[in-house]
Amino acid sequence: MKVECAFVVNGEPVCVDVAPAARLVDVLRGPLGLTGTKEGCGNGECGACTVLVDGEPVNACLFPVLEVEGREVTTIEGIGGPGGALSPVQEAFVRHGGIQCGFCTPGMIVTATSLLRSNPDPSDDEIRDGLRGNLCRCTGYVQIVDSVREAAKAMREEGADE
Amino acid sequence: MAAGMRRSAIEYHRPERLADVFELRGAPDTWLVAGGTDLMVRVREGAVRPRAIVSLRRIPELGGIEVADGARIGALTRVSQIVRDGRLGERWTALALAARSLGSAQIRNMATVGGNLCNASPCADLAPPLLAADARATVVSPRGSREMDLADLFEGPRVTALAPDEVLQDIRLGAPPAGSRSIFLKKGRVAMDIALASISVQLLVDSGCLRSVRVAAGSLAPTPVRLRRVEAALEGKPPDEDVLSLARAAACEEVRPISDVRASADYRRHLAGAFVERAVRSLAGGNGR
Repeated sequence: MKVECAFVVNGEPVCVDVAPAARLVDVLRGPLGLTGTKEGCGNGECGACTVLVDGEPVNACLFPVLEVEGREVTTIEGIGGPGGALSPVQEAFVRHGGIQCGFCTPGMIVTATSLLRSNPDPSDDEIRDGLRGNLCRCTGYVQIVDSVREAAKAMREEGADE
Repeated sequence: MAAGMRRSAIEYHRPERLADVFELRGAPDTWLVAGGTDLMVRVREGAVRPRAIVSLRRIPELGGIEVADGARIGALTRVSQIVRDGRLGERWTALALAARSLGSAQIRNMATVGGNLCNASPCADLAPPLLAADARATVVSPRGSREMDLADLFEGPRVTALAPDEVLQDIRLGAPPAGSRSIFLKKGRVAMDIALASISVQLLVDSGCLRSVRVAAGSLAPTPVRLRRVEAALEGKPPDEDVLSLARAAACEEVRPISDVRASADYRRHLAGAFVERAVRSLAGGNGR
């Protein structure tokens, strides 16, 4: 038995037939083909499945898809600009090598993006605390914190220019 | 695959009226869900096999935060809302500290006060600060509503005193005693860990003596608990070395921790004593965060 579920993904309205108790991560990766969102632990501990719902980070592996009905979801595919342009956070991850195997990277970037929206000038401790729900099993945390710190700086400077 | 097939057969209801919740939950193998951070994991692991899940998220009576002298915190309040609410943090510091320490940003955006408490996990982070604030719980059912001490909600690991037709509606806090401060201390191996042990203390210092002392513990007994003997060891006394040492010993004695994969009972006892001492020193020293 399937039911219809209508919501907005990365600015686009979608309507999909879903199993009533399906998880958001399965609908994103399956029928919607947005495979940038990863499933790591499936328990809400690793953060690889992090997406924004109405601008707030959540674990898509724990989020019932029917709870996003009528709401806005942003995945890693919606973080950059049009035409594949990278966001400041993505650019900083590239520059600092804040990426090894890459599996945690989409979740890291989504969480970091949300962190910098609420705290544009975080200390290193605040960055680590903000990312504590995102695990990198390559343990590349030094470069990841470097990336977020620099992205914050770039975004502040960009904001000051405008 | 088998798990996937089971999952696809689960009904998921999103009622908008309390009356509909009461009706839906009467069906067999029906689970209520708020934030889902616990239930969704247990469904995935096959630990529970619901035929239907009833989401409480659209029930207006279960939401909202109201703060005056005291506070009313709706069961659907997400942990991140507590973190952000300066009015709560100002009066109930320990509650704000516990909320901030809970899980990750992602989990705090989903997990709710009602879910944290009604799972009745001994390590629920929000329970010790609420117990130390003498919280009351409002419970509703088709038969009406009743209030109880939050302490009476917890009967055992994953067991509450709620009747099968009852739903936690909100938590009520009275005004904290004038001049009181509170703190929450928790030990996990890494930031995301479930607490190995946690202690919340609320007290005030009057003429050099500790008054209105409330001490509560998490992960140190089958349920979150008040530590009455520790409170008695501190009440009316000056926070000197002798008193602190007695309170520390009382904490080690009063807790009833288990040994499991995360920590031994002995280590948890040690933490209980150390945290009680550290909490009282911190609050009595004036830097009661």
